[in-house]
Amino acid sequence: MVMDIFERSQAARTSILNKLKQQVEGADYSKLPAEKGFCYPQLPVADMLENFVEHLQANHAQVISVSAENVYQVAINQLRERGIEKLLCGKGSVLAEPLQATLDSAPEQTLKLSIYDSHLADCKQEMFYDMPASISSSRWLIAETGTLVLWPSASEPRTLSLIPPVHIVVAYASTLHANFATLIHNNQWQAQMPTNVLLISGPSKTADIQQTLAFGAHGPKELIVLLVNDLI
Amino acid sequence: MTVKIQEPEQSESKYAETARAFRQNVKKDLANAELRENFHGAMNYLMAKRAASFPSDDELETLRNQCKLIKQRALLKLPYLLEKLESNLQANGIHVHWAETITDANEIIAQVITSKNGKHIVKGKSMVSEETALNDYLHARDMEILESDMGEYIVQLAHEHPSHIIMPAIHQNKKQVADLFDKHIDGFDYTTDVDALIGEGRRILRDKFCHADVGITGVNFAVAETGTLCLVENEGNGQMSSAVPNVHIALTGIEKVVELLEDVPPLLSLLTRSATGQAITTYFNMITKPRQSDEKDGPEEVHLVLLDNGRSQAFADEELRQTLQCIRCGACMNHCPVYTRIGGHAYGTVYPGPIGKIISPHMLGLEATKDLPTASSLCGACGEVCPVKIPIPKILQRLRTESVKVHSGSPDELKGAGSNRKPMEATIWKIWSFIHKHQGMYRFSMWVATRLRGLLPSKLGVWTQVRSAPQLAPKTLHERIQARQPRG
Ligand code: SF4
Repeated sequence: MVMDIFERSQAARTSILNKLKQQVEGADYSKLPAEKGFCYPQLPVADMLENFVEHLQANHAQVISVSAENVYQVAINQLRERGIEKLLCGKGSVLAEPLQATLDSAPEQTLKLSIYDSHLADCKQEMFYDMPASISSSRWLIAETGTLVLWPSASEPRTLSLIPPVHIVVAYASTLHANFATLIHNNQWQAQMPTNVLLISGPSKTADIQQTLAFGAHGPKELIVLLVNDLI
Repeated sequence: MTVKIQEPEQSESKYAETARAFRQNVKKDLANAELRENFHGAMNYLMAKRAASFPSDDELETLRNQCKLIKQRALLKLPYLLEKLESNLQANGIHVHWAETITDANEIIAQVITSKNGKHIVKGKSMVSEETALNDYLHARDMEILESDMGEYIVQLAHEHPSHIIMPAIHQNKKQVADLFDKHIDGFDYTTDVDALIGEGRRILRDKFCHADVGITGVNFAVAETGTLCLVENEGNGQMSSAVPNVHIALTGIEKVVELLEDVPPLLSLLTRSATGQAITTYFNMITKPRQSDEKDGPEEVHLVLLDNGRSQAFADEELRQTLQCIRCGACMNHCPVYTRIGGHAYGTVYPGPIGKIISPHMLGLEATKDLPTASSLCGACGEVCPVKIPIPKILQRLRTESVKVHSGSPDELKGAGSNRKPMEATIWKIWSFIHKHQGMYRFSMWVATRLRGLLPSKLGVWTQVRSAPQLAPKTLHERIQARQPRG
């Protein structure tokens, strides 16, 4: 009898697991040596924030300190400087309404807000060839590595941060964590993993040709971080 | 109508043949000055970057110990973690497949693609897919599969395979890449400017991402606790491959599973720093579910293919099991004096360098790879930099022993064990060991050897091609010490 490949997969499963179990069945886990992590010095928040910014900048992200009130205006100005006239924002994103309101309050603005409201499959062409910039929010920040943690959702799909060549992220200093380990631990990610989590630490890059760094390999060429210091 | 003739399935990986040709490969590549220059420059660069990213020895050592123990714990629980990973992935809506051989893994992937009427496939970097020679397999079935990591794309254009597990096109310089683009890309405006070259790759690959039906990637860590697949990358092609097409297939070896989500941060930190000296890569992508009904992007179907391909053989021996701790950072090759000189292709295997020497025998058998463990000066650099503390030099010695021992035919024996055993050599060693175990015999034979020293030929095969022949002393050390007058 010829097995189809998916039946064979089941047979392979049994065979692999049996082989492995034969070796480690009944192993005494209490004998496992204690694992000790490195104790990183606890830094004051201001220093952590400084590290966060330095790392991001070293990875060629542009970090702009903004106040909570002028986030949207700064975003608009950044795009104007680049001659960009269209900005993609998620449908239902917390950024959408205030952005639109800011645009409406100054009718001379030429920027058009585009809302991500259809399936990627239905707007791929536009996304790849006619979407110069996007904006999204970050959920947490990591000081040690200068990392933005994005928690994509229906209102902020993951490709927002991937396909358009310029990506703006709004970040709040109050969401800063010392490192990835404490972030996972303190917020018990284990119990709430979403479809996809993204850690972003700069614009897309590659050093695949003769170790020469080039930006915008496949993802955004520019990453602009609007950092709101809401700690003070 | 063209009829495609299906090639007979290979029962053996195509890399077995190229690994057997190790000695010829080395001769050829050592004579290539440009290649040596490319590797030399790249390895110096990567070693300096790694060193700079570990300013504190204390931190480095603590992390290495911690990560070694994390991986050893995962291995001790491996079958149970695989079961847990599977049930959590399935609960999350991700399909799980198992394959013992490379052909089965390829077949599973081909079937999944066919079931979705897929034709155009983009692939993020995956060394396991190199292991299975997936591209050849799908090409033979009339599917277009395009590498999307810039380095892999270059290597695919050149009809080569990666020469380094992290930087696949490290053997090429920008002039060579420009020549390659010139030959293969219509309308390419000749330039050796790296930004422009990457821009060209971006333009072509974006179009492919936009139209691909299926994306294939590897996996860096598979978290059993949550059923999460983690991808480490800088370019964004892994995300493009896993988020844009309607189907995402991830292919990985069974050893990539870790127990807890909290095991990931230290491993990630050591991986990126050991590999490229980065505190973290541009992207770290954690995939736990396919697209949910209210979401607008991401694949509707996600599949994970778990491949054995000899890993369970390494698992069956406690010493060799440590090979499976590897997180594929490439640091061992970056610091290997042999790799730096002969380059990545000479090994003839998918995984080159020190890790290649210790993992390939399980994938291809010791017969095809018997020269690899011997191609080392046992300088120890690989073991010293390995972030998960695999004792690579010890394992090399062990594999040397395995390759020359008497072939017993027992099922526990490594595939190809004893294939490097030479009767003459074995007899000489037996006599040598007998002599050294018997005092009288030893004295006598040394006495004879020193007295007959004049008979030693001045030409000793390869040894004297570049060295002068060793000379025996006229008297043994024992004799000379006995002859010395006790002082005072
Ligand atoms: S053996 Fe160690 S150094 Fe070599 S690739 Fe694996 S983890 Fe890195």
